[in-house]
Amino acid sequence: MERADLSPREPSVQIADLAVHFAGRAALHGINLTLEAGQMTVVIGPSGSGKTTLLRAINRLNECFPNCRTVGTVRIRLDGRWVDAYRDFRPVAELRRRVGMVFQTPNVLPCSIEKNLSIPLIRVAGLSKSRLPGRIEWALREVELWDEVKDRLRHNALTLSGGQQQRLCLARALALKPQVLLLDEPTASLDFRATQKIERLLLKLRDRYTILAISHSLGQTRRLADRVIVLRDGRLAEQFDREHLEDAETFEALLEEIF
Amino acid sequence: MISTPRRSRSTLSGERWLRGLLLAATLVSTVAVFSILGFLVYFCLPLADPARLAAVASCTWQPFQGQFGILPMVVGSLSLAAGALVLAFPMGVGICCLAHGLAPRAVARALLVLIHFMASIPTVIYAFVSVFLLVPLMRQWFERGSGFSLLSAALTLAVLVLPTIVLLIHIRFEQIDPPLRLASAALGFSPAGELLWVILPLSGRGLAAAAVLGFGRAIGDTMISLMVAGNAPQFPTSMLDSIRTLTAQIALVVATDSQTPAYHSIFACGLILFLATGVVSLTIRRLRLPSRESLFHAKNA
Amino acid sequence: MQKTLDSLFVCFAWLAGLVTVGMVGLLVGFLIWRGAGTLGLELFFADTPPAAALLGRQPVFDGLWPAVAGTLLLVITSSVISIPLGVASGVYLAEYASGRWRALLGLGVDLLAGIPSIVMGLFGFSMILLLRKTLLPSANTCLLLAAVCLALLVLPYVIRTTQTAMESLPGHLRLIGPALGMTRGQNIRHVLLPGAGRGILSGAILAVGRTAEDTAVILMTGVVATGGIPQRLSDKFEALPFTIFYLAANHADRAELNRAFGAALVLLALTGILFAMAYWLQRTLERRWKGRI
Ligand SMILES: Nc1ncnc2c1ncn2[C@@H]1O[C@H](COP(=O)(O)OP(=O)(O)OP(=O)(O)O)[C@@H](O)[C@H]1O
Ligand SMILES: [Mg+2]
Repeated sequence: MERADLSPREPSVQIADLAVHFAGRAALHGINLTLEAGQMTVVIGPSGSGKTTLLRAINRLNECFPNCRTVGTVRIRLDGRWVDAYRDFRPVAELRRRVGMVFQTPNVLPCSIEKNLSIPLIRVAGLSKSRLPGRIEWALREVELWDEVKDRLRHNALTLSGGQQQRLCLARALALKPQVLLLDEPTASLDFRATQKIERLLLKLRDRYTILAISHSLGQTRRLADRVIVLRDGRLAEQFDREHLEDAETFEALLEEIF
Repeated sequence: MISTPRRSRSTLSGERWLRGLLLAATLVSTVAVFSILGFLVYFCLPLADPARLAAVASCTWQPFQGQFGILPMVVGSLSLAAGALVLAFPMGVGICCLAHGLAPRAVARALLVLIHFMASIPTVIYAFVSVFLLVPLMRQWFERGSGFSLLSAALTLAVLVLPTIVLLIHIRFEQIDPPLRLASAALGFSPAGELLWVILPLSGRGLAAAAVLGFGRAIGDTMISLMVAGNAPQFPTSMLDSIRTLTAQIALVVATDSQTPAYHSIFACGLILFLATGVVSLTIRRLRLPSRESLFHAKNA
Repeated sequence: MQKTLDSLFVCFAWLAGLVTVGMVGLLVGFLIWRGAGTLGLELFFADTPPAAALLGRQPVFDGLWPAVAGTLLLVITSSVISIPLGVASGVYLAEYASGRWRALLGLGVDLLAGIPSIVMGLFGFSMILLLRKTLLPSANTCLLLAAVCLALLVLPYVIRTTQTAMESLPGHLRLIGPALGMTRGQNIRHVLLPGAGRGILSGAILAVGRTAEDTAVILMTGVVATGGIPQRLSDKFEALPFTIFYLAANHADRAELNRAFGAALVLLALTGILFAMAYWLQRTLERRWKGRI
């Protein structure tokens, strides 16, 4: 699982002085963070510490909730240019297309597998009909779902197993060709085997995307993370690099941090 | 062994009584439906004679010449209900979309309150205002006829069935919207895009139910067609023609108290209406609506 | 392309919303404009002294009072039938009925809910026809008949609101009674019904509103244009919605037309108040259960 650094790592997302308030109460404050391309950063922290809020601040999904106020800057490098997520996107849809997100529980659309991929591809990315089948197959192969579903693309997505649904959600995000992936506990609702499978996929994907993931499992964190950040009470409490994780003492400290 | 307390016997029989009483109350609805059907059929029986049946199922209503055809009224009812539905359905969809993401929350909430309020406005008031506001306008604009026409009635009736349609679609949207809202937003859908490409295509059943129930309400309405449609027993050839519906026919014949043969024809009208709305109710059940609130808020005109 | 479609759709939705708001505004505004001037004691009692009219000592001509009184009597008589019956059967459907019975009885309620009011009126009318042919040659349409038909018309609303109110009670409430050793009936009476009370009440109020507004049923079952205040259940009666309908087509002069506008405004205010009450009850109810969870 060792991995050679091919190129000097480049920053891809920069968060500065970020604070998010819900109805006047701060859920996040004073967050400064840089995410690098080709790296997986894992966020851990106790429940209610603001992990989900941090992820949603990056694709501005917090705005879907009433009484939410965000201050600070989130800058993202897209196609080599730095853009401010909160100023330069009008409408916000383009930002969300380039920053894919997978949720804790699979949330497929209650229609066919194919439609789950094609509706956003046609309506959001504006993909032409002729390029559609190729892109769908590519996305499903990317998450190793193609062989399992290629004969039943027209079946309802709800007939898939939980792990398959979650991989479909990942494929749906990947199909839109994002540069950043936000994963909110993607294996939380899955059993051991399905979890393993998703973890393997993520290891394969992490070189090509900037990934920010939440995890509740320390084992998983160790297996996947290039970097770990710890949130507590809406603050960034600590950061570790990969090397520290393998160190038993740090690991102990981490355990205490969370529980 | 566990001994049961003394009182249990009397409470037990009390329980049984209560249950029986409640069941009896519940049976009232079913019994009422069957008696209504029974009465309608019974009074239609004289029409079992082929000659009389042919007279009723004909195209001319001239009771004093002995012609009791009700087909013009059937066509009148159908065209009025269809007209109202064509006007009200797209409006209902638009309003539902406003209430589910296109409009700011405060506006959305106010809009839904307004829709509920519309459902509580008496039918006779819609018709009354139409007679003194819409009909004169129609007379001026089209410079033809009296203004009492299929078009005037359809416009008014559209307002009447609008709340029914909105509330039904709203219920369906409420079911599918919340879990998908965040996921769609994360995929880059705008609120309009989400509604147009995700929510609406997925609410086929709700839309169908709304259309069917809206049609049922429209066809069962009496006051608007009676007061606004003009009541000429003829086949409409344009939207500006005056028409007479089945419901208005019943009201008019009973009011004028004409000779007996005409009576049988109104029971035929009643039976047709009963069967039509029965089919509507059965269809709605087949579409298995999520909540009964819909039927409760929707107007039974 | 995609963007234009989206914005066209947004424009259409806003247009639909604005048109609807405009129409309701126009309706209410028009009624107030034409009707507000007529409001006053004279609208209700004409030149009869109000006290004498209220006590029934002097009949009122050219005033709305007999119609208002008729509507009130009709609503009371009808509600006395429909509300207990509806609540009882709502409770049965929510708490006792199960499986096939529940589906079958529910079907009856749904079918009844769909019956147009003119057909309900025709049903009442044909009952009288049958009675005349058989037991009672002197039978005639009257207040009681209208009240019964109206009760059947609104019965499904009462049933369904009761049922919904009972079924949406939180689970923990359902366990209180049995945990205390209550029987099923006691639990319903002392725990569940009070819990669902507001929901049931709001449904009952809406049903009252519907009883007050319906015109087609009474048209067939005994309403008259001038009949004074009914003294017995077997009397004919006047009613507000019918007065509106009748005067709209048969007003002899400006004064009668104004009276029609006054009557329409009064009826709108009546149903508006009932609506506001029902809505308020519903809102407080939602807040209560949401607060608990
Ligand atoms: N939509 C919202 N409205 C109000 N408060 C919110 C909202 N979303 C989150 N919060 C608050 O913000 C804080 C952080 O919530 P967040 O969901 O980010 O926690 P989390 O770390 O993801 O927790 P978990 O591990 O349980 O998912 C919490 O105190 C929560 O109550
Ligand atoms: Mg979370």
